[in-house]
Amino acid sequence: MTEKPDAAALRSLRASSLTARDEETKSNEEHRPGHLPGELMMWVLILSELAVFGAGLLAFLAVRLTDPQGFAEAQTHLHRTGAAANTLVLVTSGWLAALATRAAEAGQTRRLRLLLAPAILLGGVFLVLKASEYADLFAQGIGTETHAFYTFSFLLTGFHAAHVLAGMVLLALVGWLATPKAVETGAAFWHMVDLVWVLLFPVVYLL
Amino acid sequence: MSVVTRAWVWLVALSVASTGLAASGLAGPAFVVSVLALAGLKARVILSRYLGLAAAPGWQRGFDLGLGLFLATCATLALAGQTPLTPP
Repeated sequence: MTEKPDAAALRSLRASSLTARDEETKSNEEHRPGHLPGELMMWVLILSELAVFGAGLLAFLAVRLTDPQGFAEAQTHLHRTGAAANTLVLVTSGWLAALATRAAEAGQTRRLRLLLAPAILLGGVFLVLKASEYADLFAQGIGTETHAFYTFSFLLTGFHAAHVLAGMVLLALVGWLATPKAVETGAAFWHMVDLVWVLLFPVVYLL
Repeated sequence: MSVVTRAWVWLVALSVASTGLAASGLAGPAFVVSVLALAGLKARVILSRYLGLAAAPGWQRGFDLGLGLFLATCATLALAGQTPLTPP
């Protein structure tokens, strides 16, 4: 015997309503005051990355003690203006990703995708500016072995640029999935990339 | 204005301040401490507002402590490695 379409639709509606309620309860549990927001594993990753980059930056400053003049001269070949512009690019991209997280929580799939698209695009702008700096350094005959300054700066900024690329792929993936949990996790990774840059920029480019 | 948008405005203002400081020609300990303090403020805004640590004050204090220690070590190493303003 075939089921009446209305009964099937009603059951489907009840099921989706329960799912939405479950999601809401789960979301409230995940945002309990005093507890870390979002995925615990993402925080483990954030702390690990901060530790790695932090150790790299401290090693950079420690090695600088052996040749302050050489480091100061080498630093003049970097693109300070481009790096400063890249800070604005990343914090703006992070802002769009944070807004996308709110849109995901509100169930606004179209809006979250419209916010993540320019966030990813700004990641691309960051990489273009970084690539132009590298191209300029290579054109001057500067490489990783020219001076200890460049060994560290290429390593630290190159590793960070790889994270930017990975973050762009991750944001595209969570934009496709479009679930609140996925978007929150992807955005958290992106904020970590942003956080590392605001600490890396002054140490490598300004001090 | 939402909390996230206010955070972004702060981050832009702090980034512009860092650039202005670098362009000002200021040097020495004042420059090192100011630049690192601005970086610390930017990092704190990202942690508390973008990453949502404002809702977890205990965790935020822990991150503040770690960040403070890291920046203090950076400042110590940077000041120790300052090039002399005039040749000996």
